[in-house]
Amino acid sequence: MADASGSVAEAPAPLTARAQRASPFPDAAARHWILSSIIWLTIVDLFGLVLATEFVTPEAFGGISWLSFSRIRPSHVNGVILAWLTMMYFGALFYMLPRLVGTRGMWSERLGIVCAWAWNLMYLLGIIGLLTGHSQGREYGELIWPIDVALLVIWCLNIVNILATVSIRTIRPIYVSVWFFIASPLWLAADYAIGNVIWHPGHVWGAPSGALDASLSDAILNWWYAHNLFGLWLTPMLLALTYYIVPRVTNTPLYSYTLSLISFWGMAFFYTGVGDHHILQSPTPSWLKTIAEVSSWMLLVPVFAFTINILGTMKGNWDRFFTNLPLRFTMTAFFFYFLVNIQGAFEAIQPFNKLTHFTNFVVAHAHLALLGAFTILGMGVIDYMIPQIFGKPLWSRSLSEWMYWLVTVGFTGFFSVLTLAGFQQGFSWQDGIPEVNVLNQLHAYYIARGIFGAMIVLSGIVQIVNVGMTIFTDTAERRRRETFRVAEAVAPPPVA
Amino acid sequence: MGTAASGRDGNGAPPLPRGWVRHPRERMLITPFVAGLGGLVAFFVVVAIVVWLPIHTFDPPPSADWAPLSSVAVKGRNLFAQNGCYVCHSGYTRPQDVRQALYFLYPKVSQPGDFWGSDQSPNLLGTERTGPDLSQESGWHPDDWQRAHFYDPRFVDPMSLMPDMKSLFSNTQVDQLISYVEQRSGKSGLLRYAGQLYAKHVVLVNQGFPQPYTGFQGAHKPIVKANEKGLKPPSAQLEEAPNLSQIDRSYWLSGNPLPVTTENLNRGKEVFLQRCVGCHGLKGDGKGPAASFMSPPPADFTDKDDACCGGDTGPGDFYYRILRGWPGTAMENFGDRLSVDDIWRVVLFVKTIPNHTLNKNHLPTPGDYIVWQPTKELLAWVKTHQKLANNVSFDKKQSQDPFVQEAMRVFPGLAPGDSMKLNDGKTELSLQSAAAGIKAVFEDMLNRAWSDARARGEKLPPEVMKEIPPTVPGQQ
Repeated sequence: MADASGSVAEAPAPLTARAQRASPFPDAAARHWILSSIIWLTIVDLFGLVLATEFVTPEAFGGISWLSFSRIRPSHVNGVILAWLTMMYFGALFYMLPRLVGTRGMWSERLGIVCAWAWNLMYLLGIIGLLTGHSQGREYGELIWPIDVALLVIWCLNIVNILATVSIRTIRPIYVSVWFFIASPLWLAADYAIGNVIWHPGHVWGAPSGALDASLSDAILNWWYAHNLFGLWLTPMLLALTYYIVPRVTNTPLYSYTLSLISFWGMAFFYTGVGDHHILQSPTPSWLKTIAEVSSWMLLVPVFAFTINILGTMKGNWDRFFTNLPLRFTMTAFFFYFLVNIQGAFEAIQPFNKLTHFTNFVVAHAHLALLGAFTILGMGVIDYMIPQIFGKPLWSRSLSEWMYWLVTVGFTGFFSVLTLAGFQQGFSWQDGIPEVNVLNQLHAYYIARGIFGAMIVLSGIVQIVNVGMTIFTDTAERRRRETFRVAEAVAPPPVA
Repeated sequence: MGTAASGRDGNGAPPLPRGWVRHPRERMLITPFVAGLGGLVAFFVVVAIVVWLPIHTFDPPPSADWAPLSSVAVKGRNLFAQNGCYVCHSGYTRPQDVRQALYFLYPKVSQPGDFWGSDQSPNLLGTERTGPDLSQESGWHPDDWQRAHFYDPRFVDPMSLMPDMKSLFSNTQVDQLISYVEQRSGKSGLLRYAGQLYAKHVVLVNQGFPQPYTGFQGAHKPIVKANEKGLKPPSAQLEEAPNLSQIDRSYWLSGNPLPVTTENLNRGKEVFLQRCVGCHGLKGDGKGPAASFMSPPPADFTDKDDACCGGDTGPGDFYYRILRGWPGTAMENFGDRLSVDDIWRVVLFVKTIPNHTLNKNHLPTPGDYIVWQPTKELLAWVKTHQKLANNVSFDKKQSQDPFVQEAMRVFPGLAPGDSMKLNDGKTELSLQSAAAGIKAVFEDMLNRAWSDARARGEKLPPEVMKEIPPTVPGQQ
């Protein structure tokens, strides 16, 4: 027995070194974007928790101007989209693109790293601006003009990096995900520049900038832009990442090339025109509302194409849903993504919109997309990528399980509570009860939302711990020790 | 293409689905060029339809109700935008929001022309209503109410979830913000605000109170006191007559339709504690946290004499003031928030406050209720002013003149022929003088806003638009 254990204990060192060298991809840019995003996730989650607390006790942070609800809310929204999700998406993109087009890393890993730091700095300044009352005052376009410009410059550098990587590819045909990796950043650059009226700086540090002079035209532009943050960036990237993760983890080819074509072109044509459904009862042109309503329903075409494609790929692989955590995250996000589209299609038509608009139902819907679909997918992708990037297993599988259940249960509760609160508000308002009288009916919902929200924050912290411990401890060695301990325990006694 | 027929190509692509004979890539190849440029073409085609087209074709002319913002209000609007007020307050009313049957709740539907002019940029339409819509807010509350509310919203509405603004704004900034709130609803809002300002003038002159403190100064000052030195009501005139002129005369002597029961009194106390204590105080002595912002200060309910025998404080008067508010004071209308029965119950309860029913653990009983007796003077005054013959006092024919309409809204107790002096013995109060005063305030504010907009170099509609008289939307 002593001999056996002595002989196995000698092996570890060379094997660990080999494991870390195994990947031909540097993943340096990916690492910077991904690790930044993990930190941002918890920060923006905490912003959300501050908001939830203020719904329960508005006096909670009384006297601290930068924790005021009206300043934290834009920071939360912008942070989720531009800090957490965008950094996570670029990290995933910089990881997946070289693997899909057959290059050793991105065209310039260094450029990717510089952009990651610049992005962090840009958003940090932007958020300080928002918290001190420097805002453009347009929903989802709050970041002030200099930040907008910085964002677009970094964004364009990323586009250069992506296009250059594609142009030096060694695998000529490009996979579905790569279509989105090429098109989606281009879409968003155009969307962001047009939507923030970037050619209209206004008073840069004083009065709100970046808006059209005519208020209603500005509203039309504002909501066209805001919806396309989701429609042309967050959603296509969800598709791209799902198209990568599901076939990769299940080791199954994608079910249908044709369906992926439909999902790509359908998204390009139908998503761009839905923005006006945010202001369906406002005094804007009716024909535009009609386009928005029809587009919102036509969106179901690419959504179903994507759904069928992924379900087809998953056929026969559902056992891995239970055993493989990244896949479980991805498919949970996939389910929420499907749900958010069905829900959104109904929300975008007049009869339903009359009931739910301005209520917490819309807040629930927004979280179904950004938290249920994009964030849960992001957590899964990080769970998948971190071991690959660092060439060693995750520190703790059970922490990953905790993360999954905290965020899934937390989000499901959060969503259900806000949906119910939304109906409560909608029906009360229909009866002519004014907003302030409904507030005390919502108190219980707000408390529940805070508790579920805390679970979501906790899952982000669990992720930080797990990823941090993976990086800073030798998990490969730890895993080997465990394996040997098990092997030893079950090993047959040495032959005498 | 032999590899395609076998189902695999040189790159180790997956086998074809069953039934496919040709590799799809031969027919539907997507290159990076197609994905990028094709994607952008699709994008810009739709952008041309849903962005370029509406922006270049949708240009509604200013509505008759439209008015520019004064330069102070523009500063307030910037503060509103930069501090994210729009995340809880929408900036337009929808058709389904407007219910004529309800008091004061969104009197009109927003029209495209209401948003004309570059002082309305950026848009503040909003997507959520945690608080009420503010597009029709102008003029419902006077400035001193707004100041207390911005300092701490729970001061005036204990049920509010709004964050306090005392840490966000300076004294000057909060007055800019109030200026925006009071001017944002177009001409109809300006008219309401003019009525509010004129009524404030009348109330202060009549009761001898100074102007309220500006900015947040009220938080650190004592409650204002009346200077009654110069107050000498004309001898033939009831002292409370100017106050009564702000109450519809059909309520002057009306009793409470609800019986004095423990249940009614307890519900009244509950509502009082939920809604009234911010200004009127936990003891009902008019010394709530908001009181020092306000001039005139909130009413004191603890005086036994006043509750039984003094002047104009009959149940009907209380009811009317809770229902419709008291323009010129910080008393706002609760008609959209409380049911009629609940208002009457609060009225019942208020008449028990002198017997310490607001003390902890003291539940009001019918024994605490103080029965109100109108004074002889009041009865005589009412007799001469509530002429029941031919129902002449109750004839509410609406005037066509919006300024007279507004005067009738603010002074519903004045009949067309009535004329009286305020308690200073000099200032006249009649529907005509009130309408003229409101018109002067309105036109002054409108002219100043126009000249401000011209000074800012904004495009303005033809001058005739300014001359279109305001309308008084909603129920009056």
